[in-house]
Amino acid sequence: MSEREMEEIKKLLKKSLPAMGDVELRRDLWPAMQQRLAQASVHVPWWDWALLASAGVAMWLFPATIPALLYHL
Amino acid sequence: MNKHPYIRAYLAGIAVPTVFLLVVMSAYTTIRHVSEVPLPIERVIVFPMAVVPNAWGLWNVLYVAFLERRHIPLGLFGGALLLLLVPGGYVVTRLLNFDIPHVVLVAAPFNLPIALIVYYLVWKHIVGFLNAELGIS
Repeated sequence: MSEREMEEIKKLLKKSLPAMGDVELRRDLWPAMQQRLAQASVHVPWWDWALLASAGVAMWLFPATIPALLYHL
Repeated sequence: MNKHPYIRAYLAGIAVPTVFLLVVMSAYTTIRHVSEVPLPIERVIVFPMAVVPNAWGLWNVLYVAFLERRHIPLGLFGGALLLLLVPGGYVVTRLLNFDIPHVVLVAAPFNLPIALIVYYLVWKHIVGFLNAELGIS
């Protein structure tokens, strides 16, 4: 590619990409980020609670399962 | 936090059984030596002490290396580990001539589903949380 072609490509690129005007943020994003972090909570679906409850009930009914479980944990 | 993802996956995997082992061993030592319960579990303790935590760590490495990008649920994959550990644990008890207490054998049909639920929940929520905290998922 010749020097002239390179210059032409540069000009075309500059023409096709509009210059960015105002690049400053209109507002501070950090407080919103902090708020979102504070709201972050662990979401446990209902079927996981149901599974946990069923496992708890089963262990209560059959306590002999607990040593076997602990052996594999 | 892009360095050594497999080491972090291994550490996240071994964390849960390692902490549980501490609790279980403390309880067992108290029961065995204070209450003098005749159950010589120290003969087979090598399985939960050495095999299980390493299996968890390596299982998590496998997940991070091959399966996470295929969107396979971590809970289901973790539950599948139990299907390897149960026969492994049984073989260890047989090799070391450890007599499984009768009450545990009677409850055997209920053991697998309960253990599968516990494994599923622990892998999904605790190991998943640790993976996220360590930046590997």
